[in-house]
Amino acid sequence: MSAPRSSSGYWMGFAIVLALLAAAPLVLPEFWRRFVTEILIWGLLAMSSDILIGYTGMISFGHSAFFGLGMYGAAAALLTVRPPNLWLALLYGLIGAGVIAAFVAYFATRLRDIYFAITTLVFSQIFYVIIFTWTEVTGGENGLTFRQPPFSVPAVLSVPFTPVTLHWFVLAVVALSYLLLRRITQSPFGMVLQSIRENEPRTRAIGYHVERYKIVAVMLSGLFAGLAGVLYAVQNKFAAPDFVFFLISGEVVIFNVMGGMGTLVGPVAGAAFFLLLREVFSRFFTEYYLIPVGVIFTLMVVFMPQGLLGFLRRRLNQ
Amino acid sequence: MAERWQDEEWAKDLWYSGKATRRKFLGLGAAAAGALGATLLVPPPWREAFGQAKPYKIGTLQPLSGAGAAGGKTALVGTQMAVDRINKAGGINGRPIELVIADYESKPDVGRRKAEKLAVEDKIDAHQGGFLSNVCLACMPVFEEHKIVNMIGVCLDTTITTSKCSRYTFRSFDYAPAQAVAFAPYLVGKMGKKWHIAFADYAWGQSTRDAYAEQIKKAGGEVVGTTGIPLGTADMTPFLSKISGAFDGFFGIFFGKDGVTIGNQAFDLGLTKKYRWAGDGAIAEATNLPALGNKIEGFVGINRYVPVLDPPLNTPHHKKFFDDAVARLKQIDPSGPLPDRYVQANFEAMNALKVGIQKSGFQGRADTPKLIAALEGLEMKEGDDFPQGDKTLRKDDHQAFLREFIFEIKDGKHRIVEVVPKEKTVFPPACKFA
Repeated sequence: MSAPRSSSGYWMGFAIVLALLAAAPLVLPEFWRRFVTEILIWGLLAMSSDILIGYTGMISFGHSAFFGLGMYGAAAALLTVRPPNLWLALLYGLIGAGVIAAFVAYFATRLRDIYFAITTLVFSQIFYVIIFTWTEVTGGENGLTFRQPPFSVPAVLSVPFTPVTLHWFVLAVVALSYLLLRRITQSPFGMVLQSIRENEPRTRAIGYHVERYKIVAVMLSGLFAGLAGVLYAVQNKFAAPDFVFFLISGEVVIFNVMGGMGTLVGPVAGAAFFLLLREVFSRFFTEYYLIPVGVIFTLMVVFMPQGLLGFLRRRLNQ
Repeated sequence: MAERWQDEEWAKDLWYSGKATRRKFLGLGAAAAGALGATLLVPPPWREAFGQAKPYKIGTLQPLSGAGAAGGKTALVGTQMAVDRINKAGGINGRPIELVIADYESKPDVGRRKAEKLAVEDKIDAHQGGFLSNVCLACMPVFEEHKIVNMIGVCLDTTITTSKCSRYTFRSFDYAPAQAVAFAPYLVGKMGKKWHIAFADYAWGQSTRDAYAEQIKKAGGEVVGTTGIPLGTADMTPFLSKISGAFDGFFGIFFGKDGVTIGNQAFDLGLTKKYRWAGDGAIAEATNLPALGNKIEGFVGINRYVPVLDPPLNTPHHKKFFDDAVARLKQIDPSGPLPDRYVQANFEAMNALKVGIQKSGFQGRADTPKLIAALEGLEMKEGDDFPQGDKTLRKDDHQAFLREFIFEIKDGKHRIVEVVPKEKTVFPPACKFA
């Protein structure tokens, strides 16, 4: 009898969080309204990497490449197609990120542990250098700027985004992505990924083709990272090579560690916590804000190794 | 007396005794918040002098951390020098300037977020700053959206006032096409007809290469080859060792530590002895000279600012600026660097904003169209506000034209060899405001 109760509790909690996030732009001041939307986008990126870090046990430093390629794919659609089309931007971005993810996955999944991490880092740096120096196409260091596409339903309506409607659109995409990823991680496929994380040789011995599962995991993760990239491009109307640089991947790993790996929601909470810390401290300490942020991160790693969500769960279970 | 100081009576409240109670946590938290609050309550220094006069809130975005931190901190010195001088002299129209500083960590996403914060939370009246071109370009739409005048301080990318120009953005210093127009006749006429260009292989380096290639050709010379070197390359030898052949001059387009690398390694490979050695003034910026030593001797460059007190920079205005900048730079760098073009450009950009505000009677953001009208075509006269010299802010693209200094490095110092008047640096406008 406890399973249905905990399930209904979960869905009630989900609905409350969703309702709060939907209401946020109506009550928050202008800056924080935009900020919450941005947190959702970074949260989606962190969630996408959780498939690899938390569920499959593969630390990727290539997520910046998937995120950036999603962004540049969207930019390509918004700059070349007139009038700019939101769905085409999504399609181009997902194709860009998906193709790159397949390419990276094919080579990187042959390796394990630190070798996998380094290979993904190398790939992201290769894409960074290409984008940084191929100025004629990518805009080089300056990146690309473009107009925001309207929200459109073909032959029905086309309305420009306002900060509130854009927030709702982003929220809808992130919520659907979460539900989809949750379903995937709870499916037999997701169980195999967790089995790879726990004991790869044994998973192989049972008869699973581990490399194929890893390739699909990287591609899946890359696609959702690309989706986050498209949303960022639509919100901010620019794409820049800095987003392909491996430091972004490092920040994503920090989001996971802070929030709690292998939970999907944890990395979103981690992204929110980290971005809020950075924003608040930078207001008081200007360029020295990284010192308190670093101290807090270190303390969290020491005293909350399972992240914010793991800590909350433990407290609630007590 | 206790054996350990932690066990002393007076230390009990300070030292962690093994149990963190809620009361202790709240007490310490309240004390910390109180201390922070108290610092915020201390009135800014201009408050006493100006009484209740409402300040002009001017935002400044700078990279105070991350890759661009060193340059950002130097640039901020120029802005603060100008603000302090303006406030000391009675402010603008009797109102002081309140400078709102934001660090964008050398990242465009943070830059954009901070620009939003300056616009909607701090409610700045205008912005003066910006260092990295990619961040300047990412933030320009924010200033446009909130109708805020954006007076750029350092960003050099050509497109800021050409293909990506904005009605709200102004650049009160030079750009690569103007420098190329000014320098090419000297390069071809006095140094040699055939040139090989080595450049930092990214947007700025590529656009500057194109500008010089065009102007050298126009001046009757020829660019026989170009070599792109990735930004931040520590060992440039593989690239430089391939440069050979029959040409007269070797031209470098680099800045920062890449300027030091090219200067040292081109010298070691004998390129600077075999060919005449010239380039963008950023290679021989005052901050780079100690690291270049005598290997940069004989280098000929162009810059809008050189830290010398020789004619025509032997004016009392420049002396005042120079001395103040040297004293302030020493506070952030004990080695005591001389002022560079970042300090100069920010100092003068803030003063350009001041002159525009005075001329237009600007009171706040609602008067932005008036301020834009006042800044378009603004003539800036050499003086305490503009120690570098006269300049004109062109209406068509909001790009300034100013005199340029062609210099040579001799005995480890800049020596001006030719001054190019601003009229001879003009490059046609290529901007269409949306």
